[in-house]
Parts: sequence; C-alpha cells; structure tokens
Amino acid sequence: MSAVTPDAGFELLEHTADLGIRAWGTTAPEAFGQAARALVEVMGIRVDAPGRRRVVKASAQDPAGVLVAFLNELIWFHETESVGFAAIDVIALSDSGLVAEVEAAPLPEAAVGIGVKAATYHQVRVERRPGVGVEVHVFLDV
Amino acid sequence: MEPRQVEPFGWEVPVGTVEGMRVPGMIFGTPDLLAKAVEDRAVLQVANVATLPGIVKASYAMPDIHWGYGFPIGGVAAMDAEGDGVISPGGVGFDIACGVRLLRSELGWERDAKPLIRELVHALGARVPRGIGTKGRLHLSRGDVRKVLRDGVRFPLSKGIGFEQDAERCEDGGVLASARPEEVSDKALDRGCPQLGSLGAGNHFVELQVVEEVLEPVAANVMGLFVGQVCVMIHSGSRGLGHQVCTDHLKVMDGLMHRSRIEVPDRQLACVPLGHEAAERYLGAMNAAANFARANRHVLADGVREAFETVFERSAWDLGLFLVYDVAHNLAKFEEHVLDGRTRTLCVHRKGATRAFGPGHPELPEVYRSIGQPVLIPGSMGTASYVLVGLASSAERSFSSTCHGAGRAMSRTRAKKVMSGAEVGRSLEEQGITLAPAHLGLLSEEAPYAYKDVAEVVRACEGAGLSRIVARLRPVGVVKG
Repeated sequence: MSAVTPDAGFELLEHTADLGIRAWGTTAPEAFGQAARALVEVMGIRVDAPGRRRVVKASAQDPAGVLVAFLNELIWFHETESVGFAAIDVIALSDSGLVAEVEAAPLPEAAVGIGVKAATYHQVRVERRPGVGVEVHVFLDV
Repeated sequence: MEPRQVEPFGWEVPVGTVEGMRVPGMIFGTPDLLAKAVEDRAVLQVANVATLPGIVKASYAMPDIHWGYGFPIGGVAAMDAEGDGVISPGGVGFDIACGVRLLRSELGWERDAKPLIRELVHALGARVPRGIGTKGRLHLSRGDVRKVLRDGVRFPLSKGIGFEQDAERCEDGGVLASARPEEVSDKALDRGCPQLGSLGAGNHFVELQVVEEVLEPVAANVMGLFVGQVCVMIHSGSRGLGHQVCTDHLKVMDGLMHRSRIEVPDRQLACVPLGHEAAERYLGAMNAAANFARANRHVLADGVREAFETVFERSAWDLGLFLVYDVAHNLAKFEEHVLDGRTRTLCVHRKGATRAFGPGHPELPEVYRSIGQPVLIPGSMGTASYVLVGLASSAERSFSSTCHGAGRAMSRTRAKKVMSGAEVGRSLEEQGITLAPAHLGLLSEEAPYAYKDVAEVVRACEGAGLSRIVARLRPVGVVKG
C-alpha cells in the first residue's frame, strides 16, 4: 500500500505535536488514495488479509474539504467497525464529492500505530500541476 | 515581526505581525521557552488567532505553547459574547474537554506501595483499556450515551460507580447543564457507545505518583496532600465521540465561512458569531462531549480504585482514594471578566490551557474557595507533575488561565530517531518507574526528551502571576495509552 514512485506516493511531514501528509499522484483520485494510504500507515491499521469491499463516500464544497471529509470518514469507519484496510481505491472524484471502494477486514489485535483524532483543515491544499499531476497536503490531529 | 519582551515573564506579539490582527498577542514564558515557540511557528498561530472577530484584550499563549493546527496549543482567546465575538471549534480542539483528574490516597509510598509496585502497575494495566481501537470499561447503547451526554458523572454515579463526593470535586460539579445531546450526531454516538472508561492513545496515561515536595502547606492540606503520599493522575478526554463532534460541527462552520464575511488566515480557525444557530448547536454538542469526557475519567478512576482494592485487599474508601479535582484543558466557557472597568460576559477558548480561578471565585467548590482552584499539570512521561492553584491575579493577566502540561518540543518522527521505545522503557525503569505501555514501540514518541521542561513551565506561570505551585509529584508507575 505504501509504494512510492515519482508518479504516486506519500511522505509524512514534521509537526511538533501532530503529523502532516504530502501525497501525490498523476491524477487527483490517485493523490487522494495515496493520502488515505498514508493515514492507514500512520494509524497502523493496514491489514493484509482479504476483506469485504465497502463503499465510502464524502462530500464538501471544494476539493480540499472533500479530502478532509474522506479521511475523517475512514477514521470513523475504522473506529466504529474495528476494521483495518487492505485496499483503498478512489473510484470517483469531483470538486464536491468522492466515492471510494475500500477492502476492510477486522484488525487481528489492537493496532500498533498512532491514534489519529481527525484530519484537520490546517494548511490543507490540493494542487493541480499541469503535465505533472496532483499534490495534496493535510495535517492530522494525533 | 519578533515578539518583544514587555515584562519579566511576558512577550508581546505586536499588532501587524499578520494582517488583520485586532489585538496584540501575549506569550508568557522564559527566554528559552519563547525561543522554542518562535522556532516551531506557534508565534504565527498566536497572531492568527488575534484576527478573529470579537477577540478582546489579547491572544494569549501559556508557557507550554507549541505549534498546533489553527490555534496554538497553549492558546487562550476570549471573545466578546455581548458584541461581535465568535466561537471557533478549532479553539477547543478535537479532544473536547480533554483533561486531568487526580486521586489521593492514605497510602505512603515507602511503607505501603513500593513493595507492591509491580503488582499495582500490572493490576492498573489490566483495568485501564488503552491504545487505539480498544473498548472501554462500559459498553453503552445510544440511549445510554445520550444520558451520559446530559448527566456527565451523574450517569455512572447512578449506576453505583464512584463516590458521591467525586461530583463535588469536579469542574462544574461534573455536569454542564447547558449540554444538548440532540446536537450530537449518530456517528458520534456510535463512536462513544463502546468507549466510556477507555484511556485512548498518544499522550494519555494513568500514572502512579508520589508527592515529593509540598511548597504551599495550607493549600496542600486543604487538598489532602502530604509528602510521601501515593496519588494517581489520569489524563484522558472525550474519546472518539468528542473527536466526531468537532469534526461534524467544524465541517458545518467551514461551509458557512464561504457565505460569511469573516476571513481567517487558517481554515482550521473556521468560526461563526456567538448567537448564530450553528454556534448554539456547536456549544450544546461541545458541552455534551465535555460531560462524556468527565464521565470517561470518572469510570477510569473506578478501574484505578478496583486495582488498588485488589492489590491492597481493602476498600477504596478505606484506602482514602478520593478525588482531589478534575479539570479540562480543552474547552470554551462563558465567564464573567472585568474589562475596562466593566464586567463583561466572554466566551473563553482554552486550547491546551487550564482554567485557574483565584480564591473566592463563586464557581469553585466550597472546599477550595479559600485557596483557589486546583490546577493539575502532568509532566512528560518520567518527569515530575505539579499541583498548582489559581491566583486572583490570573483573572486580569490571562482571563483566569494557566498552562496545561510540559508542551511538546520535538516531533514524533524526530523523537523516534533519538531512542527506540525499548530503550526509553529501559531508561525509565532504571529511574525506578514501572511501566505498562499499550505498546513498547510507541514509548519513544512520548519520551521525556520530546517535551519541554515542565518545571520551567510552572515556574514561568508562577512568575507571570497565573498560578502558584502547591506540590511536586514524581512518577513511580505509568500505564500508557
């Protein structure tokens, strides 16, 4: 899930108390998917077992708001259903909404990762770079 | 623009540091603590908060200030509730009413607890659910969660959990009557159902401590504290329920910002005027989440009492495991303060800052009215914690606010590079601190070197006239989230 290539990937950004994500892809859905994978890595809730495919939806009034809403949906889903994620694919994305298909499976035991309270709007941005791709930045409250 | 020193423990962030500042910033601290705030961009966040509509007097920062997300951690902002003041969920944070409670005991460390420390930490570890994805001591239906949101610590008390006097020694008597459970979404309720009586992760902990030094004997006596005594400090918050409340209402306010004339320099500072329907709904939900946080710490304390009863084979009452105080450090409250010679109602946001009412304040429990409000300051893991009291002077200095902890100085990524979790664990054990971490590997993120010097923080608070040091407690056992 954490494959990093020049075309798609993520890295964690330093923050005194919290944690930032920079993720990129050749398309916006790819960049959003990478941001989701970064969240899953940070929280230690990646599972290898095959799981049930589920649909996750998020909406907001702009792309950056959609990114925050999407990550918060994943946090809610993980916490209320005690699941981790084997795969996350953003299958549709507009300026105001997102549909993702996730493969979710029960966590074998308490996750070993950072407890993330929420994705925040602090310095959140979605940047489209013609000919290069899309880069997103988002900070998590941990 | 650099902050300029205007008093021995205070630096002003001048208007103009960022565009649109309505008041200056005021950072309390020492030269060393200030240097850390400058280094990590927190000063810019103090200036950003000063742009919010209706902010009065100054955008304050306590000596443990560090970079947050929107508001700085350690930030205090009072908004004019009679004028154009706003409420900003980011000024409270996701962990609504995260806070600290302290239990005292009649046990002496050397005589009673030291010989049994391993059994005691093990028993605590077995009764304090912790880490991410864990279930709490109680699993509630949505209906019962709504009762917790309405009744705070009264809910577990009605089930026979805890002592009646616990409520009296809790901020607001353990329940905010202005809570509106109906403003808490089903999504938030679902996060809360399995989580009452769980610690969470990150910097949350249950710590066995020994009173090492008493600096204010009168206040310590009123609180029932004495040198050599075993105490237990609990640091936790409103868990996923509170996080979801903030997420839900922040999204609403973020949406409204596009239509309002309010411009903020950081999107996480989204806000609406007090009195706006969205403000009323958020405040009702925030107070409900605060009731959940108090009940959560109350139920955690029940686990602590049970652990002591098991190890010492005596009742918690007999062991004198009584509550000293329970206070939040992430909350917005309506309070009356004197401004320009006139008493005004202000909405005081405290994000990583503790309310610190001085002696005689009518909102204090009668038992503490003569000494001022107890303020509980957890140190970093392995370092001392402090019990302080609020000072009357803090009303004028900082809208009755003081620090909330040591304050982080190093990112988690950097902290992990200094030592491994196992090495941090060994180092703490060598200092005589028995550990029960959720995961050994995560200990390095919360290592003492990742934090500022808590002793310097509380001394700065005392120097600035915000609070007075009553007692220093050293850790002997840590159950970590």
